[in-house]
Amino acid sequence: MTSVMSGVAGDFAAALRDPLVTPPAMLSAHAAPAASTRFCVYRNNVAVSLIGALEARFPATRRLVGDEFFRAMARLYIKAQPPRSPLMMRYGDELPGFIARFEPAAEIVYLADIARLEAARTRAYHAADAEPLELSSLAALDPENFARLRLAPHPSLEIVESAFPIVTIWASCTGEAPLTAVEDWRCETALVARPRLEVEVRRAPPGAAAFLEALARGMSFGEAADSAAARAKDFDLALIIASLIGGGLLVPADGVKQMETIHGYLA
Amino acid sequence: MNYISASPALLPARAGVGFKPEHFGAIAADQQPLGFFEVHAENYMGAGGVPHAQLRFLRERYALSLHGVGLSIGSPEPLDRDHLARLRRLCALYQPESFSEHLAWSSHGGVYFNDLLPLPYTEETLAVVAAHVDETQTALGRRILIENPATYVRFSQSDIPETEFLTELTQRTGCGLLLDLNNVFVSARNHGESALGYLASFPLIAVGEIHLAGFFDASEAGAPLLIDSHGAQVADEVISLFEWTIEQAGPLPTLIEWDNDVPDWPLLLAEAMKAQDRLRHAERGYARRLDRRAL
Amino acid sequence: MSANTSLTAAALAGAFAAALSLIASQASAGPAAEQPGKDKCYGVSLKGHNDCAAGAGTSCAGTSKVDYDGGAWKYVAKGACDTIKTPHGTGSLMPTKS
Repeated sequence: MTSVMSGVAGDFAAALRDPLVTPPAMLSAHAAPAASTRFCVYRNNVAVSLIGALEARFPATRRLVGDEFFRAMARLYIKAQPPRSPLMMRYGDELPGFIARFEPAAEIVYLADIARLEAARTRAYHAADAEPLELSSLAALDPENFARLRLAPHPSLEIVESAFPIVTIWASCTGEAPLTAVEDWRCETALVARPRLEVEVRRAPPGAAAFLEALARGMSFGEAADSAAARAKDFDLALIIASLIGGGLLVPADGVKQMETIHGYLA
Repeated sequence: MNYISASPALLPARAGVGFKPEHFGAIAADQQPLGFFEVHAENYMGAGGVPHAQLRFLRERYALSLHGVGLSIGSPEPLDRDHLARLRRLCALYQPESFSEHLAWSSHGGVYFNDLLPLPYTEETLAVVAAHVDETQTALGRRILIENPATYVRFSQSDIPETEFLTELTQRTGCGLLLDLNNVFVSARNHGESALGYLASFPLIAVGEIHLAGFFDASEAGAPLLIDSHGAQVADEVISLFEWTIEQAGPLPTLIEWDNDVPDWPLLLAEAMKAQDRLRHAERGYARRLDRRAL
Repeated sequence: MSANTSLTAAALAGAFAAALSLIASQASAGPAAEQPGKDKCYGVSLKGHNDCAAGAGTSCAGTSKVDYDGGAWKYVAKGACDTIKTPHGTGSLMPTKS
């Protein structure tokens, strides 16, 4: 837009992003320290604040690799994928993908999935509010109508599927469970949601992910159950209902609106 | 929830505190003897959850200052319209008594730097910043405050003193100013100038809020360098500047900012109460002087 | 629509009834078993990440040229991954790529 200022900001920005770029020549200092040393305050502020944001968002990932590894990896991530928005709550959405391609972390095969789980937790923390469906509110419903129920996943819910026991590993890295060797090494799917104000992480029972995906596509309860039963082995609808409704993970399909009557969310 | 009122009130001329979520339990336990709370707008741009539950709680009980840190008003590039729209929604929802931003930039070429970066002060940059302040005030439908920055470098192109730049900005846009006295002290020391000299030429008439904070001393032998860390108690020198300012201008809404190494609530509250005592003292002195003038 | 589904109304009703008793016996899975709404303090707070404070110092994280020059990556993961043993040894399920 303007000549002087565009040049200043462009040169300044380039040198902020890369310590190998010389600080802009038009900086001045009346006395020691030199302008280049003073410029390092800004470079430091940017790096410290962005690394800090990633450390705060990915505590389990950090614990798994240790502080030194995490910080060095974060610096490379920041250089490769700097923030594109002033909303720091979103920064790090792409870190799981970065980790998946990050050769030095390849040996820790589950690391990217742990980061995916942690990224989902922050999104759930800030997601829209919605009153979860209570199982007791279905008590008055004629059993004939169960199949026609229109329900939807809670707006905060994310499904994190993994080939590794990520819920167990995550829990042991955050103090929710003791940190020990994982005895039962099998794949786990995490359900990450914030039904009210606390973010919760649950192990999904078999078929729950397929069932939720079917509901999200607009299928009725009966259609979703059929679809999930066809796709998942060890499908147990009672367990799924208990986990999803007991966990506050479902809402009426009309979203955040409170149900007026039981018939309000029938198809 | 809506907080529409016919005419937004101003912040009270009392001490306030920058809200930190870790203090919520202590704050909610009692009505706090504070004039207002201030929050960083960008931390409340999610859709729901704990941040909004806490902000609703504070809004219902205290005056509120929204402090933006990401609009990049000092950038040569056009303002981020999406971000401006988010600020407009937040202001409409919470009806804060004050909205403030910084004389700084933080985004360039689509990258956000998460720091408040300096700009040269020239006729050219003044015109750009004035246009951005104007656009922001139009979008928000309110007068905003612009904060003086803490700076570590200067630009050889600058040919307008910062206080003159800010004075001119208030005259061109009608905006008010947020006077950060820690920034005044930090910048003055970093550039070998007098903080009181800066204040003497600062348009105190336009000040709608004062910020107080602690700095970090990164000086080495023969090379003084202070950093605006917001991670310590307010320094004695900054308290002196505060006393001088409110003696001249009368009591003003005064915020304690503490963002790093955040202390427990009682210590932070005590820091605010010290500022409150000085405001009360200044109010008495100011009233006496007004009385004498009336005679 | 319900006519097209293979699960009968009775089966669905049975699943709901079983789910109700499962919930009643607190049998739902998951390591985080908080009671929703228990916390009057509006839940566990995460730190807000936008602030206007500066990081203290000039020489730490921001200014080091190490890691930026495309040279050898020198860091080794030294964290809890040592404890979480996979069926194939520490930290790894599959043979490490070379």
